[in-house]
Amino acid sequence: MADPNKVWPTGLTEAESEEIHRNLIQGTQIFGMIAVLAHLLAYIYSPWLH
Amino acid sequence: MIYGKMWCVVKPSVGIPLFLSAVAIGSFAVHVALVTNTTWIKDFLQGGKAATAQSQSAPAVKK
Repeated sequence: MADPNKVWPTGLTEAESEEIHRNLIQGTQIFGMIAVLAHLLAYIYSPWLH
Repeated sequence: MIYGKMWCVVKPSVGIPLFLSAVAIGSFAVHVALVTNTTWIKDFLQGGKAATAQSQSAPAVKK
């Protein structure tokens, strides 16, 4: 892992791998926030848990 | 970032669709289970209370 320019078996370098992971995490966080909002609206406007 | 180097050993063309599919199938399964195992969701989507209110006022309209 010492060489930052090493191309790994997937064809990516460590920096590229980190970039993909950052975007995936960000997408997951946005999805999570939308899901939380949707569940909040469902809790307020439906009989769910009432 | 933790696990940031996993894409060095997992092909993104395999791992990302797998991850997204797991999220999609998992959340869909939970909602299907809720719809099939409870009664209140069907009643809520049907608009039962509004229909009941209309049906109660309907006889008055007929007279």
